[in-house]
Amino acid sequence: MDCLEVVRQLWDYLDSELTDEAMARIHRHLAQCRQCYPQFDFERTFLDAVAATRREHPAPNLIRRKVLAKLRKAGLDL
Amino acid sequence: MQTTQQSQPHRVDGKRFELEALPWLDDVYRFALSMTRDEADADDIVQETFLRAYRSWHTFEPGSECRKWLFTICRNVFLRVRERERKRVDCGGDDAQLETLAAVRVSVAAIGDGAEDLFSRLDLAPALERAIGELPEVFRSAVVLVDVEGMAYNEAASILGVPVGTIRSRLFRGRRLLQEALIEYARDAGLVVTSGVPCTGVS
Ligand SMILES: [Zn+2]
Repeated sequence: MDCLEVVRQLWDYLDSELTDEAMARIHRHLAQCRQCYPQFDFERTFLDAVAATRREHPAPNLIRRKVLAKLRKAGLDL
Repeated sequence: MQTTQQSQPHRVDGKRFELEALPWLDDVYRFALSMTRDEADADDIVQETFLRAYRSWHTFEPGSECRKWLFTICRNVFLRVRERERKRVDCGGDDAQLETLAAVRVSVAAIGDGAEDLFSRLDLAPALERAIGELPEVFRSAVVLVDVEGMAYNEAASILGVPVGTIRSRLFRGRRLLQEALIEYARDAGLVVTSGVPCTGVS
């Protein structure tokens, strides 16, 4: 497996969207390739940073209350 | 698009709805906000989403993923509401692999002393959030569903009503755009000295 092939599938690998076999092959390559590993590391860190933006916006209480009011009006018995 | 029957509402198991659907309110709000980027609009969409969810609760398959079901409704509500921002963004086809290569080129330019360094020396969160918000909607929704909400490609595809290949290409393109934005930000902050690699695609 060459570097280009690894690079092409790097996102899919990071997203665990490949077959087990392909995942394992890329894993092995990354473990021993000095060229690909930094790229992998960068992309992983990047994706972690994107995922970390998640906790920012809990629904404001006002919206929660509005939703509940609407549902009650529609007949939901809360 | 499902139509809701006005005159004869279904009998809804309120307890189940309360236990299974309502806990996702934060998630639905976050998703709505990621699409609208406007709190008042997100507010309306969330209300409408839960109202529709309630009215079509009988179509929810017990045991399936309620969050995904709600996101699908939310997405449909958003699309209905959004009549103005209707400009089609060209996604550049489905050649996700080229996007991958392009993305890697950009990131390689940024690696320099190492990714850890770039990410730890700079608080990227605000820049990243802004960059996500500024992505064209088609890319933003893919990035939000997969990268922020942690969904698989096929789940995101089903929520957005597009093939998995389309999700991949939108996702990869969206990531590349985010990386470009971050690198620009880092460069402005003096952390990346390279002039950057122009990403004109791989020929
Ligand atoms: Zn390699």
